[in-house]
Amino acid sequence: MLSFPRTALFAYDAGLATWRLLFRTREAIPSQTEVRGRLAVPTRFDRKVDMADLSLIRNFSIVAHIDHGKSTLADRILERTGAVTARELRAQFLDDMDLEREMGITIKANRATVPYKFEGKEYMLNLIDTPGHVDFHYEVSRALAACEGVLVLVDATQGVQAQTVANAYLAMESDLEMILVINKIDLPAAQAEDRALEAEQVLGLDASEAIFTSGKTGEGIDELFESIIKNIPPPKGDRNAKLKGLIYDAKSDPHRGIVCHTRVFDGSFKRGDKIRLMACEREFIVTDVGKFKPKPTSIESLGAGEVGYFFAGIKTLADVNIGDTLTLSANPTDELLPGYEAPQQMVFCDFYPGIGSTTDQLRNAMETLWLNDSSFTYQTASSDALGIGFRCGFLGLLHMRIIQERLEREGDVAVMQTAPTVTYEILLKDGTITKIESPSELPDLSHIEEIREPFVDGQLIVPAEFVGAVMQLAMDRRGRHKKTEYLSPTRVMMTYELPLCEIIYDFYDKLKSCTKGYGTADYHMKDFEKGDLIKMDILVNGGPVDALSVIVHRDKAQWRGRKLIERLKKEIDRHQFEIPLQAAIGAKIIARETIRAFRKDVTAKCYGGDISRKRKLLEKQKEGKKRMRTVGNVEIPQEAFLSILDPED
Amino acid sequence: MPDAPDDGPYGLYIHTPFCETKCGYCDFYSVAMKDRDTAPVVSAIIAELRSRVDEFGGPVRTIFLGGGTPTVLPTSELSRLLDLVEDCVDVGSLEEFTVEANPATVDDPTAKTLVDHGVTRVSMGAQSFFADELATLERLHTPDDIAPSVETLRRNGIKNINLDLIFGIPGQTAKRWTESLQRAIELNVEHVACYGLTYEPATRLTAQRNAGTVIPCDEDIETDMFVQTREILAEAGFVRYEISNFAKPAFECKHNLIYWRNEPYIGVGPSAAGCVGRRRYKNISDINGYVRRVAEGGRAEAESEELSRDMLILEIILMQLRLVEGISVASFQARLGESPFSVFGDTPFRLVEQGLVEKSDTRIALTESGMLVANAVMANLAAASGHVERSLPIIPQ
Repeated sequence: MLSFPRTALFAYDAGLATWRLLFRTREAIPSQTEVRGRLAVPTRFDRKVDMADLSLIRNFSIVAHIDHGKSTLADRILERTGAVTARELRAQFLDDMDLEREMGITIKANRATVPYKFEGKEYMLNLIDTPGHVDFHYEVSRALAACEGVLVLVDATQGVQAQTVANAYLAMESDLEMILVINKIDLPAAQAEDRALEAEQVLGLDASEAIFTSGKTGEGIDELFESIIKNIPPPKGDRNAKLKGLIYDAKSDPHRGIVCHTRVFDGSFKRGDKIRLMACEREFIVTDVGKFKPKPTSIESLGAGEVGYFFAGIKTLADVNIGDTLTLSANPTDELLPGYEAPQQMVFCDFYPGIGSTTDQLRNAMETLWLNDSSFTYQTASSDALGIGFRCGFLGLLHMRIIQERLEREGDVAVMQTAPTVTYEILLKDGTITKIESPSELPDLSHIEEIREPFVDGQLIVPAEFVGAVMQLAMDRRGRHKKTEYLSPTRVMMTYELPLCEIIYDFYDKLKSCTKGYGTADYHMKDFEKGDLIKMDILVNGGPVDALSVIVHRDKAQWRGRKLIERLKKEIDRHQFEIPLQAAIGAKIIARETIRAFRKDVTAKCYGGDISRKRKLLEKQKEGKKRMRTVGNVEIPQEAFLSILDPED
Repeated sequence: MPDAPDDGPYGLYIHTPFCETKCGYCDFYSVAMKDRDTAPVVSAIIAELRSRVDEFGGPVRTIFLGGGTPTVLPTSELSRLLDLVEDCVDVGSLEEFTVEANPATVDDPTAKTLVDHGVTRVSMGAQSFFADELATLERLHTPDDIAPSVETLRRNGIKNINLDLIFGIPGQTAKRWTESLQRAIELNVEHVACYGLTYEPATRLTAQRNAGTVIPCDEDIETDMFVQTREILAEAGFVRYEISNFAKPAFECKHNLIYWRNEPYIGVGPSAAGCVGRRRYKNISDINGYVRRVAEGGRAEAESEELSRDMLILEIILMQLRLVEGISVASFQARLGESPFSVFGDTPFRLVEQGLVEKSDTRIALTESGMLVANAVMANLAAASGHVERSLPIIPQ
């Protein structure tokens, strides 16, 4: 039902130096031409409270590379339209999750309906803010499906970046009207005109139509409103037709259950209506309808062309399919909107309870968080080394970090995390194909015909002078060069096919360091490819530690193995006995290190005056020990389990 | 909860913060004498002593006058200090009265002053019998100063003498170390303390090591020295009773045993620490601030805390395990109201299996090989104490 051919899109995040991955639902987004074509010619409807003339409505979104000032611009829009009073306007009003505000990023798509007077008419502008981080790109797709236009925001100092391209492509595929906005023109280093020309070259947007703004000073905001009203088409739809609305997001409200965010394409609904969620075939009675102004404000009804929310006694997020079509039970539409498929997790790691927390506490925290945010998956996992925990799937590394942070913060549990891995596809000798998310799930080698690893198409935008260094980096990561294009005489976009596992660890850091911080990258999932892949085990004191096993390319095994045990040697303290560390492929040892035994570890003197300081040292050791896992006789600190994350120093 | 009584008997530590010069390895609080006027500090120490003794009331068991080097004080100042100690404390009934000294700082008048004021024991910082090693340690005396100083003390009636020795000095060989030990044995002292050289943070020695100008002794050689020490001293009739301390029978340092048994003591003087009942304090390590605050009529404490259960357990591990006799099960129960076996769970059993610990119904102690890795054993017990659910208090008999 909600299933589409789909490509996954990966990109990453400049601010946090982390690769992220996201899914691009090419077919999932209803083509606006298609949608518009299917809709009947708008007819006039009774003008009541909150029932807006469609020609006075604009539904739009802002897409940008991270840090190009999207949230600040959104704040200016809210402020300028009087939707939020100065007192209410905390910085970045739309980023309402604590974590979002703290990290300065947007995770969940947000929304606001703001009034704006132009040429004597009052327009309703529905801004649907989108996450800039592409781990959360599926959220962008959802938001775009509810819009008729987007603002493509470009930083006047940095120009078009990898995520600008990725996000703009999404909008293009959705057939949305695009307005080029060059932002941060107040900065001394701004090269607004050049950046506009560059955007014209890369994205095909008319530079002469670009709007120049400063989210900081508010310059250009009125021109922006004018452009939105003039260029973005009003929504089409028939308020008297059968109800057809898109659930583009849903959140859990602690007091009122689930709030569904919806864009209505046809018809209307009000409190008390019996609605039907078509894909999941469930019916509910609407208890409240409203708009985000930007605070939720109840209204009479929500009709064609409008964006808003409703409550309907829905208990958990599991009861709602994002992308589902909303209609009335009594008079249902025949047409199902294309909808979306659930985001697919591609990066996996295990969470185990950390210091002072139990598996049950961690399970409770995960259940609670999942009810609020089902973008990650989890299932019980066990490790010989680490005990009982959970194998979790994420959209990308940033996503993983955010979930861990939210678990610890909102669930008050300590989380110990293993190094992330990607999904591998295994073709067995009997012809069946299976997917594994952890090296420990790898079937016996005698049953395996081939191991396939995920590949991505990666776009790297770098200053021309660093092309050589970037090519070297991509080659080191088993990248296959596809093409090199000059965006301008000084900036180059290089396209590579890269194995996902080679870039999820530290590729972005390396890219930054070999381009003096100027390189950006974005990638989208291509397919699974057969690779010369092998499982490498790590033996500590002669015994394999399952949580440290990795799947690596045969050519890289030796290097990775050596680096890994060098790191382990630093992380594991000396014991009273010698500890051999070995990297092995099957029975073959490919790298070896030894942690020398300590013979003497004793404090020479301790008298009255020394006690408090020595006790503090002991206290620290005690805390450190609690974070260790004893495998065999060897105490392995938590950090060691993450050493595969960063095999290089 | 049962606890050690607050009103003594207790040990008394007095810290005089002056040395002739500061040695490179030392991290005790002391300042170089130079032409410094020591009188205000001595006065402040006396004032604090009076006030502390008044506060605690109970009888004093032992006194340890340390530093610094108390014997570098001008004889008149030393007398003044000892006079006032006699004023406050019934010196005649003390179990032990120790004063720290350095070779070449003890002459007949000083020694006589000590004996006249009831001092029974002198602990001498001999450190080594080799000139180059003493130079590395930045000690001021020469090997030839040690024997005459011991003779001077004997001549004046000191019957209990300790020599401090250091092993693991950069450049030291195992042979050199055994020679130093032999020289100490030949001096017929009652007590020897043998410390592995420690690179304490923020000392010149540590800075030199970090800069590469001092190469630490090889760990294996130092381990051999540690093992040899007990063997050689045992042959000469010394019995190890603490990781670094050896005594002829009945000459264990009674004052230091108070620390290692977690019994009550008070400390006076800059940087001195005290612990009575569950209150632990430490004075500020700054002579000017110390003098000022005492003159203002207050305490000069830098830190003061009420030990929680967990902290007390850590201190018991940290101190009692240093003793050959180990952790006393009875005193543990008396202090905490719970058995160490319930607190440490199966960890002591694991350590026994590894040959690091021996235990009986009454004691948990390090073995010889456990002493070599005492810090690791302590960390294991400490970690164990954090995991265990609190058991019901056992009422001590």
